[in-house]
Amino acid sequence: MLVRKGVYIAVMLAVTSSVIGAETDSKPAPAAARAGVPNGWAYQPVKTPELPAVKQGKWVRTPIDAFVLARLEEKGIKPSPEADRATFIRRATLDAWGLLPTPEEVKAFVDDKSPNAHEKLVDRLLASHHFGERQARRWLDLARYADSSGFQNDATRPNNWRYRDYVIKAFNEDKPFDRFIKEQVAGDELWPESQEAKIATGFLGGYPDNANSRDLVQRKYQITTDITDTIGETFLASTTGCARCHNHKSDKLSQKEYFQLQAFFANTAFDQRRPLDKGTETAWDKKFAEQQAKYREATKEIRDKQAAILAPYKEAGIKYQKERYLTDSRESIFKPEKEWNALDRWVNFRHKSVFNADTDTAGYLRLTAENKDHADHTPDRITAWKEYQKLQAELRKFDNLRPLSGSVNITTAVELGTDSPPTFVRFGGIHERPTEEVQPGIPALWGGDKVSITPTANSSGRRSALAGWLASANNPLTARVYVNRVWSQYFDKGIVGTPADFGRAGEKPTHPELLDYLAGNFVKNGWSVKKLQREILLSSVYRQASDERQDVVKVDPKNELLAVYPRKRLEAEEIRDALLYASGQLTDVVGGPSVFPPIAKVLENGQADFDGNRQWTVSKDKADWNRRSIYIFSRRSLPYPLLQNFDPANPSQAHHKRDVTTTPLQALTLFNSDIVVNWSQALAGRIINEAGKDESAQLSRLYQILFAREPNKTEKAALKAFLAKEESVVQKKVAAGKFEAAVPTGLKDPSAINPVRGAAFVDLVHTVANSSDFAYRF
Amino acid sequence: MSINRRDFLLKAGLGVGAVAANGFIPGLGYINAATAAELLDPLAPKQPHFPGKVKSVIWLHQNGAPSTIDLYDYKPELAKLAGQPVPASFLKGIKTSTQGGVNKLFYSNQRTFKQYGESGAWFSNLLPNLAQQADKIAFIKSSVTVGATHDISILKLNTGDLNPGRPSLGAWVNYALGSLNPDLPSYVVLYNGEQEPSAGSVNWSSGFLPAVYQGTAFRPSDSPILYLERPELRSADQQRASLDLLKQLNRLGGDRRPADTELRARLESYELADRMQRAAPEAVDLSKESEATLKLYGIDDPTSESYGKVLLRARRLVERGVRFVQVVSGYPGNVSDQERRSWDAHSDLDGNHATQARMVDKPIAGLLADLKTLGLLDSTLVVWASEFSRTPWGESGTGRDHNPWGYTQWIAGGGVKAGFTYGETDELGVQVADKDKAVDTYDLHATVLHLLGLDHLKTTFINNGRSERPTVVYGKVVKELLA
Repeated sequence: MLVRKGVYIAVMLAVTSSVIGAETDSKPAPAAARAGVPNGWAYQPVKTPELPAVKQGKWVRTPIDAFVLARLEEKGIKPSPEADRATFIRRATLDAWGLLPTPEEVKAFVDDKSPNAHEKLVDRLLASHHFGERQARRWLDLARYADSSGFQNDATRPNNWRYRDYVIKAFNEDKPFDRFIKEQVAGDELWPESQEAKIATGFLGGYPDNANSRDLVQRKYQITTDITDTIGETFLASTTGCARCHNHKSDKLSQKEYFQLQAFFANTAFDQRRPLDKGTETAWDKKFAEQQAKYREATKEIRDKQAAILAPYKEAGIKYQKERYLTDSRESIFKPEKEWNALDRWVNFRHKSVFNADTDTAGYLRLTAENKDHADHTPDRITAWKEYQKLQAELRKFDNLRPLSGSVNITTAVELGTDSPPTFVRFGGIHERPTEEVQPGIPALWGGDKVSITPTANSSGRRSALAGWLASANNPLTARVYVNRVWSQYFDKGIVGTPADFGRAGEKPTHPELLDYLAGNFVKNGWSVKKLQREILLSSVYRQASDERQDVVKVDPKNELLAVYPRKRLEAEEIRDALLYASGQLTDVVGGPSVFPPIAKVLENGQADFDGNRQWTVSKDKADWNRRSIYIFSRRSLPYPLLQNFDPANPSQAHHKRDVTTTPLQALTLFNSDIVVNWSQALAGRIINEAGKDESAQLSRLYQILFAREPNKTEKAALKAFLAKEESVVQKKVAAGKFEAAVPTGLKDPSAINPVRGAAFVDLVHTVANSSDFAYRF
Repeated sequence: MSINRRDFLLKAGLGVGAVAANGFIPGLGYINAATAAELLDPLAPKQPHFPGKVKSVIWLHQNGAPSTIDLYDYKPELAKLAGQPVPASFLKGIKTSTQGGVNKLFYSNQRTFKQYGESGAWFSNLLPNLAQQADKIAFIKSSVTVGATHDISILKLNTGDLNPGRPSLGAWVNYALGSLNPDLPSYVVLYNGEQEPSAGSVNWSSGFLPAVYQGTAFRPSDSPILYLERPELRSADQQRASLDLLKQLNRLGGDRRPADTELRARLESYELADRMQRAAPEAVDLSKESEATLKLYGIDDPTSESYGKVLLRARRLVERGVRFVQVVSGYPGNVSDQERRSWDAHSDLDGNHATQARMVDKPIAGLLADLKTLGLLDSTLVVWASEFSRTPWGESGTGRDHNPWGYTQWIAGGGVKAGFTYGETDELGVQVADKDKAVDTYDLHATVLHLLGLDHLKTTFINNGRSERPTVVYGKVVKELLA
């Protein structure tokens, strides 16, 4: 049998909330129940709670503090003292920006004697473009953002970066969160004139997809399922997906209601080739268009010849391609357009968007040329295919002229008419077993509000209705769910420990009144994300030190009451970005097509998708190698290896919580990666430039940059002893005849340092960057 | 050699010693000493639900979908009806396409079948070596799945779902049982061919499980793991000195937080990494294997060389306690670019399968024989699996289309009823003959888990408040396959 269950739960909680031993898939999770919070609390209207009376009134800077302090006082625990300023600025900068503060920023803050020093700091953090970059990353986790479609072909989605940039901009401009929701769910319907609102629907369009699916009707079901589940989890913290196969076992959500929710998306298709509005082209778009024109110009003759070869086979090739679809897809595809119903429209639009007459004809030609037994085989095809291949080889020689990343299009949700295809309940969730037809509707659990659906000129209006309901101030879930996410970003754990499940199987809020206060205030403040974060950042709760306290450990072992600030390992992107930034190498450019930094040679290039895009062709511009991680191309089949071992988001589904695991593969990555060595060299160079020749000054500078503090005596002694020893190790290599070592780079005065000593210093920097003091924020 | 992970951690002073009698995890509090090692390490070995028959699985994914009616599932009727249209009665209840759909039946004139072993299992002339191992195998001739394209069916084969996002079977095993050797990743993916299998890591993803349970792809080179080797310009002495300093610094940091076991685990992870740096290359180093062994795995034949090496690596990994080895078949090293194909024989089935079968025949036969000789077959499960198989008809007249409605997969090893066949397909090999005996992916997964000592209904993980299991909401153990 298993280890005692209670203990086991604790074991796995170390990694995430999980348990082995529940009996069936229906058994609710062991919720950390809080007495007095009723089931279904999340569906009650948000209340305006009274501020609790507290004894240590002085500690209260914002109402947040009163709610937290009240519970601490109940238990007789004192909050922790305030963190020292250097620790605080490192913490806040990492949390708000995902980067480290510079030693100058640290010093300015530490020395700031004004009473509003914290306010000034926080306002500066919120005003920076780095704020949007960091917050967007968390939102992209929820939007299962990627730059490719996934599945075997894993086609490049050349426009998706526009959605990523939209999200960054939204956070930087403090776009009201209700508007942010509406644009992402129904931007195309609500603001048909706005390109930005259309790009926002990239939230819906992030579903994994396989363009070569031969069953388009089933594909539609899978896409709709993905979107519905993403909406349910992300905005409503509801595990709606459970109810697709059976009535929800812990929440009152029927299978019928689940499909009523799906019905809101029944008419939604996606156009991935909508040309950019004239005049909105960015510099990147212009560069892309220019490069594409160059490529087309250079290859025109070859491509014309290819087209001429294919021409005689085109009709048969297209017919062949269409006939490869399965029964019900074929029905739609071969139906005359004037007979199309809403489903036929969807299927044909989809077919058009994945179909490419040239490549599909080429595939057909190859098949009927190589296979002499094929019914369509004729001898002329052998010659034609050979000739075509020859030209293809010619064409490939121009690959380096192809633009690597970017597009001249946008991706947008689109509806193809005002009437929607019918939505059916599916027995057991199985596509092939439709039962009763249903209409769009809000589940009773969430209030069952009647939403009125008004079609627009060429759209069903269904998503607008849903978006309006989601973004309504009266919706009890939306604001609570989001403020909880923000809270969990700052305090490691949410007020509700299960950010994607506010249902019965989820955990209960540790501070229900605080959650309501934050949600209510969020709406009152015009859904301002910056105001919400500002209040948290300036609270006394957030300012506490994270030092271990034995008294807290005894009374509140899970630290649910937050008497101690929870220290936390940096997220994958923070580790990379912070080190890159510290090394002085960061290319600080906001937005644009995704970039491809170098990866292991064995992974480079790889197979091409149907459009001829290789999996990973390293960016030519080296400045692009040093962009923030959010701009690195997110290829579903090839996650960027440097980040992959540090628990990044998995873009297959909405990703709600960054786990923290500790593994030897992480150690290998940070310790052995050439990239990290290169940054260490650059950081070593920066330090020598800034601190000069003095060894103690150099060590101080290193600690200031990475940890916002000075090394203590013991540390300094250890570092100095290492330097002396390492120098002799390197010296031995020199004596053996060859000087091969990583030396500081970017030195203003290359003669400033003896290369052997320099190499030892690089090793020191590299080692310190591997230490836990760097990988954690305290 | 394999070290008991818990013993190791305890000896290293992380369990009882340094953390005193108790361990403390921020956010969790004190737990008793017995579990301190597990807390530190999510891959600590865990008890199964009941004593398992096997410790490890070698999962042989035959990528591209071999035609099992050309390998194991002998259909004399097909030979007779070759060239004729498929009788409509065989197509009842299935969705097909026109192209690659209902064309004429095809039977290769190069195909012959014979019975082998005491069990009298059928093998075609494509697998002469594997046929010699007939009595070690339990065939599932009534396999079914969903999907008309490789994409979704490969995902289903590995994760149980048609959409990406769920953990692969190997990740579930890794999560539920933990590792037997901390010096090696406990879930390893191997492939032959120069490139990673298409769709990549999604097929060995940890899905919603923590990333620590994902598969680690071993590259075909001598240094199988990314970042395994120390940077080019750093000597071993430099590295040792760095590691010593790092330990010192991390210890100083840790001392300020004596109860913080996560920080201690991080300190220790560098020592584990240091050992992995040596253990992993050693585990895949075939230079000490005998000539006879190399030959046994077909490494002396250019067509089977790359796959043979991969399977020999698989055996070495299993020997060293790796839990789950997922092997994705690729293509031989000696073929032209044009011939770099999987089992996906839409045309020229004879040519394609001759190559692919030759690529895997000796290596798999060698693996079964070798495991037996080494006494490892009793504690290892070998699975032949494919995303689907191929139809008795073909669009081209010389190849076959995709068949998810009835095909053969097999298992061999500890706890398996060897020399046994379960289920059958109809007379042409289109669909399973008896729907009640259909074995879906979930059933295969449930059976594999059962042999490892895991009840698939109790192997659960709370994801977003929802209790998830490897078999989604389906699955039954195929008891008939058990010894």
